Order: sequence, then structure tokens, then C-alpha cells
Amino acid sequence: MKVLIIEDEIQLARSISQSLTHEGYVCELATTAAEAREKIPMFEYDCVLLDIGLPDGNGLKVLEELKSKKKTDGVIIISAKSSLDDKVKGLNLGADDYLSKPFFMPELIARVSAIIRRKRFDGNNKVAFQEIIVDFAAKSAYVNHTKLELTRMEYYLLVFLLANKNRVVSKHAIAEHLSGDNADLLDKFDFIYSHMKNLKKKLAEAGSGDYIRTVYGLGYKLSI
Amino acid sequence: MRLLQLNLRSLLLYSLVLVLISIPLSLFSIRLILNKEVDESITEQSDQFLEHIKGFEYLDDLETDLKVLDQLSSNIDIKPSVEQFIPKRYETVILYDSVENEQKPFRQLSSSVDIKGKSYILTVRMSLVENDELVIAIGSVQVAISIMLTIGLLLLNRSLSKKLWKPFYKTLDQLKAYELDKNESIPVEKSDVIEFDDLNKTVSSLTKRNREVFLQQKEFIENASHELQTPIAIFQSKLDELMQSPALARREAQTIMELEATAQRMARLNKNLLLLSKIENEQFLNTENIDLSHLINSQLSVLKPMAQLENINIVTSIQSVHLKTNPTLIEVLLTNLFHNAIRYSPKNEEIRISLNDHTLIVSNKGRPLKMDVSKMTNRFAKESTDASSTGLGLAIVRKICDRYSYDLRYAYADQSHNFTINF
Repeated sequence: MKVLIIEDEIQLARSISQSLTHEGYVCELATTAAEAREKIPMFEYDCVLLDIGLPDGNGLKVLEELKSKKKTDGVIIISAKSSLDDKVKGLNLGADDYLSKPFFMPELIARVSAIIRRKRFDGNNKVAFQEIIVDFAAKSAYVNHTKLELTRMEYYLLVFLLANKNRVVSKHAIAEHLSGDNADLLDKFDFIYSHMKNLKKKLAEAGSGDYIRTVYGLGYKLSI
Repeated sequence: MRLLQLNLRSLLLYSLVLVLISIPLSLFSIRLILNKEVDESITEQSDQFLEHIKGFEYLDDLETDLKVLDQLSSNIDIKPSVEQFIPKRYETVILYDSVENEQKPFRQLSSSVDIKGKSYILTVRMSLVENDELVIAIGSVQVAISIMLTIGLLLLNRSLSKKLWKPFYKTLDQLKAYELDKNESIPVEKSDVIEFDDLNKTVSSLTKRNREVFLQQKEFIENASHELQTPIAIFQSKLDELMQSPALARREAQTIMELEATAQRMARLNKNLLLLSKIENEQFLNTENIDLSHLINSQLSVLKPMAQLENINIVTSIQSVHLKTNPTLIEVLLTNLFHNAIRYSPKNEEIRISLNDHTLIVSNKGRPLKMDVSKMTNRFAKESTDASSTGLGLAIVRKICDRYSYDLRYAYADQSHNFTINF
């Protein structure tokens, strides 16, 4: 799975690349619009991460070109502006998602994985991790074909961890993912702990192995 | 007192003093001139009389004639003189006029004359009555003029203050109504007066300059907030990298979490600052018809379970209220108010939210505020040291309320903080 990262901040681009590579994606970097234009026709990308504030021109122009070439890449706009206008413009031009800086890395990874999933499987898709299977179309999860009775929060939590498998996901990132703007309101630790406890319990009751590890002080990690 | 009245007062005072001084002065000088005229006239009469007498030398009985003359004419006296010579004397005398039966002023010239070797005193006089009437007439004209002057000046002043000062008062009204954050600069209005033109130009360029500086400041805040987003993003991504390190000790993990919490706080602060400056920069202009109750209920469906974690119960009484407003801003307003209530509510207490008749009331229990209530909605006004509070929430609420002229009020009663908004 190939991802093109168009981002002028080299430090950020490297971090994104490193994290996505760790999750099994192949990453290409472009730090200018010109470089991006060069790289776009060279490969078929599954996902393009596009910073719209590029030094040599607006990223939205690059998006227009991308879309005019009828490439099927899923495009996620990354913007420091977080302006509604840019978001609407971007989505109207055919971007698939919009993420404003600053963001949590697990959030970006989850978005990339969701985009690729949608592009590859036309929305009718399943992802498996050992005996756990998530059916995205039905918004439900199974362990060894036993359906889990998950709450909305527990389902999203599981999907989030699956997208970030084999990496530590911080409690802050989970809280923000689950509650968005309301994240600052909660005692994250209690809030996440209760959902996590229930999810693990339901997984265990359905006969799943204990794959979600608590990483002391930081958060959680889904791995074999 | 108005400038023009002040101006008029001095002007009027000066004119009146001048007129009042001029009345006796002109009376005096007219009288002086008239007396001189009269003196000349009686001198001439006296000379002519003597001339005539000389022509009558052939008359035999001059003495008798002169006696007759003395008695016939009231204006000429001629009497034999005892003294040899008296010098010419002009004087004003009051004499009895038997015809009109009253005392009248006369001007008379007395002189010694020598007729046929005999010495006489010749007195020629002239009535001054007509002159007095003249003086009175002139005096009344002056009084009339001074009255007309006063009335005229007052009337002129009234119409002038309306007409002449119109551009000035217009500019003044514009300045009074001027709000830096709402109005453009004040446009230059052409007037017929150089001073007002100058004033208008100055006011216009002043407001224009202020507006520019203000816009630059606003833009700066927005740009600065934007520019900060990327470094915070880098910071967060590096923390995430660190987190993936397999050999983290507990203390290191603890530090990383604290750093991440701080980064998030920076991000939130920045986001709120950006939101504030966006509201100020009027980037939320579109309005829609919104049922406030739907918005409130959908927000509370998310917030209620969260508040429940702290055992805070949210009690609602919501009626349908329609509002034409910006959907994003009204959502931000509600979120901030509700967050504020949840954040500061003690555990195991109730939060009451009611909406009816265009009035939203949000109240939560708590101790009275230590800070000045009027400063509560200022930026960065914080009561707690809670790291998750940016101190901008209520400032944003205030800004949105100001933007749409909603009436935001705060009151503390029955150990409750009550926020009321009249839409």
C-alpha cells in the first residue's frame, strides 16, 4: 500500500512517514508542489496526504490536478488553517478527508487506513486481526464468528486500536478520537479505562486472546 | 455651552457696550457740533445787526428805535451798558417762553457794541429746543439699532449654528457612533468650510489608519495562531515516536504523557485564539434558521454520559426555539457554556439547563467566584488552576453574544452559577 506524503515541514513529513512505514505502508515524500507534480504520475498511490499550505503554491491546485488525472487515490488534506472554507473547498474538489494540525499520529493512521479500506473494498469490507474480525459495512465485530455486543464507543475504540496495531496509542489520542472537542472535559483515564475494561471483557468472553496490553502511564497497544 | 453661543455672547457683549458708550458720546458730540453751529449763527446775526445799525445812521432817534427793537424781538436784546466794555460771551441759559408757557433752553451771545459813541450790550439768542429733539431722535435711533442688533445676531446665530455647523455635528455624530471593530473608516464629507474639510480629512485618515493597524493586529493574531499549528504538530508527532520506544522507564513514560498533555493544551489554546480572531474577522457570516432545542439536545446526548462519569446529572427543560444565526458559532457557544458548567460543577450535583421564550439558562452549583464578575468573560480570566481550562471559553461566548447582540448575563444565587442568554 503506497502513500504519498506532500508536506513542506520535513520534520513532520519524516515522522508521518516513519509511523506509516511501521504500520506496513510504503511512503513517498514530496516537500514542494513541484516535487509532488513529478511524483504523482510515477506511481499509483492508495492514499495522498496533502498539506495545502505549500511554499510554492496552494495545495488545492495540486488536488485539482490529481483529480483531473482521474487518479483513484484517496486524498487527505492536512491543513494548519483549519478554516471551514478550505475544508469545504477541499472536500468539494474531491478530497476524501480533512485533518487540521496539530493532530495525533494514531488519528492520522486511522484515517489513512479508513481511506484505503474504502478505496480498496468499495465499502464492503472486513479486517481481521487473529480471531477478531471487524465488518465495517455492518459496523460490528466478531470473534471466531461470534458477534460481539459492543457499544458505539467500544466499537470505535476497537477499530482505532486495529488501525494502530503494534504501536502504543496514548490515552490522549484515544480520548480525542472518541470524544472530539469534548476531550478536554473528561478525566481521560477514567473515561477510557471504563470503555477499555468493557471491551476487553467482551473480547475475552467471546474467546479472544488478550491482545490489548496496557502500557503503563502511556496508553494501550494492540499486538500479538 | 455651545461654542457658537460662547462666541455670540462675547460678540453681543462687545456690541452692546459699544452702542451704550456711543449713545452719550454721539449725543455729546452732536450737541457740541450743534452748539458750534448755533454760536456761529448768532455771531453772524449779531454782526449783521451791527452792520444794519450802521446803515441807519441817518435816523434821528436811534435810542428810541433800539428800545423798540429790544422789546419787539425776543431774540435780540440791546441795552445801554454801564460798563465801558465786556468781552464777547457765549452761554446757554434757561428762559421763560411766554408764548408756549414753559422754560426753554437758549444759546446766547452777549457783546459790547458801540453805537454813535454810546456803549450798548447786544444779546442775540437762539432756541435750542429743536436741537434737543434732534438729539433725542438720534438717541432713539441708536437704541433701536442696538435692539435690532441683538435680535438680529441671535437669529443669525441660530440659523448659522444649524447651517454652518452642520458638517461639524455630522462628523461629531459619526465619531460618536464609530466602533473600531465594526465600522470601516469614516468617509471624507465635502463641506464649504476649509476648517471642516480639514477636520473631516483628518478624522477620515485617522480612522483609516487606526482601522488598518487594527486589521493588521487581527491578522497577526490569526497568522501567529496558524503558524503555531505546525510546530505543535511536529512536537506531538515526535512525542508519539518516543512513545513507541520499547525500553521506556516509568518515569520517562510519565514525562512523555505530561508533555503530550501540555502539547494538547497548547493546541487547544491556539485553536480557541484562532476561533476568537476568526469571529472578530467575521469569517462566520452565513446564517441559517436553526431550532436551538435540536442543537442543545444533540450536544447533551454526548455530554450527559460524560458528566455522568463524575456523577453529575444534567436536568433539562427544553422548548423549541427558532433562531436565525450562524450554525457553527451557535454550536461553539453552546459547547463552551455546557463545558463550563460541567467543568466547574462539583461531583454528585445537578446542572440545570432550560430553554424557553428565547432565553437559555445554564446553572451549575459551586462556590461563589473570587474574581471580579465583570472580568469573568475577559480573555485568560481563570478562577482555577485547571490545566484543561484555556481561560478563553467564556470570552468566546461573550464574543459570539456581542456579535449577534444576544444578552449574556451572569448571576450567583442559591449556591448556583447562573448564565442567562436572551436571544
